[in-house]
Amino acid sequence: MQKSITGLYPGTKFIGALFLGITAFIVPTYWYSIGAFLACIVLAFLAGIGPKFLRTVRNTLLVLAIFMFGIRTLFGGGETVLWKWGNLSVTVESLNNATTIVTAILALGAALLLFFLITPVKDITAALENAGMAPSATYVVLSAIQMIPEMRKQSATIMDAQKTRGVETEGKLLTRMKAFVPTLGPLVLSSIASTEERVITLESRAFTAPVTKTRLYVVTKERRDVVIQVVLIALFVLIVIGRIALWLL
Amino acid sequence: MSTQQGFFKRDFSLIALLLIPVAIAINIVGFQLCQLLRLPIFLDSIGTILVGAIAGPWVGAVTGLLTNCINGIFNPVYFPYALTSIMVGIVAGLLAKRGMFTKLWTVIIAGLILTFVATICSGLITAIVFGGATGSTGSIITATLLAAGNNIFTSVFSVQFFQEIADKLISVLVVYIVIKGLPTRYLSKVKYGHLYTTRAKRSRVRETSGS
Repeated sequence: MQKSITGLYPGTKFIGALFLGITAFIVPTYWYSIGAFLACIVLAFLAGIGPKFLRTVRNTLLVLAIFMFGIRTLFGGGETVLWKWGNLSVTVESLNNATTIVTAILALGAALLLFFLITPVKDITAALENAGMAPSATYVVLSAIQMIPEMRKQSATIMDAQKTRGVETEGKLLTRMKAFVPTLGPLVLSSIASTEERVITLESRAFTAPVTKTRLYVVTKERRDVVIQVVLIALFVLIVIGRIALWLL
Repeated sequence: MSTQQGFFKRDFSLIALLLIPVAIAINIVGFQLCQLLRLPIFLDSIGTILVGAIAGPWVGAVTGLLTNCINGIFNPVYFPYALTSIMVGIVAGLLAKRGMFTKLWTVIIAGLILTFVATICSGLITAIVFGGATGSTGSIITATLLAAGNNIFTSVFSVQFFQEIADKLISVLVVYIVIKGLPTRYLSKVKYGHLYTTRAKRSRVRETSGS
């Protein structure tokens, strides 16, 4: 079961995530959005990353949802007042509106989060290349992701070096502010200077040569991917038609 | 099609392409460094402004977009704010074209312009997409202002403005210092590099003294 979800083509997973997230905004009842959110959790557990997914949702989306819900309910306005204190009031309408929008955003956020948790960036860029994106563009994305941990390590080294020289990194706000430039400055300058060498390296390996490139890592679309994509797109069109019909009648 | 390709080749040279990942890493590491030093600001657009200033608005825009996409992988809240980062990249590039990053006082004006751009974009996104609060540091102040009877846009914009002004002024100053530290050999390879090299300065002096 785990393999059958994580092993899907990246494009299929993306269409699935978008389907869950966007229909949550289209279907007019919040029960659907809650269902979509729960579906993401179930899918995460089936894919074997349940606890990690729940932790990420708690750290990112839950905070957002609580704040959004609070502000939308208290300042939403409306007729049927349930509770009132000064400028603050909770009404049936504001409670309804807040639940609708917050659950929809939760569903979309959870679907996207799940997509990125079960799809390695390497797979996403490989699928984008299959779809006709230039290899230089995918190189930019991949090297950025590789560079971040490397630069973090380097910034720790520079910070230690500056501490040895006597730069204060702890204490009052102003002292900490002053430590920022001597730490970031050398980091930025050295990393920018390294791009020059990388240009030479890449040019010597015919990076910009106008020929089709061979690839070491490939992802392939299977039959079931086509089936799932077609079914999801058809369902999506049906839901949109249904929503328009509901709106016109 | 051919003009489009020409445009692409002109702005996105190999060195500009390789500058993008470095700038994204600077954005993200700068943000983390701020948290490490426990500074109350974000400083997550130093790389975007730097690239906009030396490699042009379009490369800056791509840097901003990709930074938010990579941040969005770990927290989807960042996706809508890609608009702000794109605008910061474009505006930084346009300001650099007019030589705003060459002197200290114009750099401060550039910082103020960027503050306004970022406040308007981020404020609109916070107010319209998230209804006023995203759970970040400013959210509680926004809620207090709302409770005091302020309009949602006034509350969001005022909080955003005070967060952005310190952020953008420090960012442009770091960018200014970094550009000063870059060797001419490197600057000559990027699109707007000629604005910062000593020869450009000398010729500008000659122009003004001649006229």
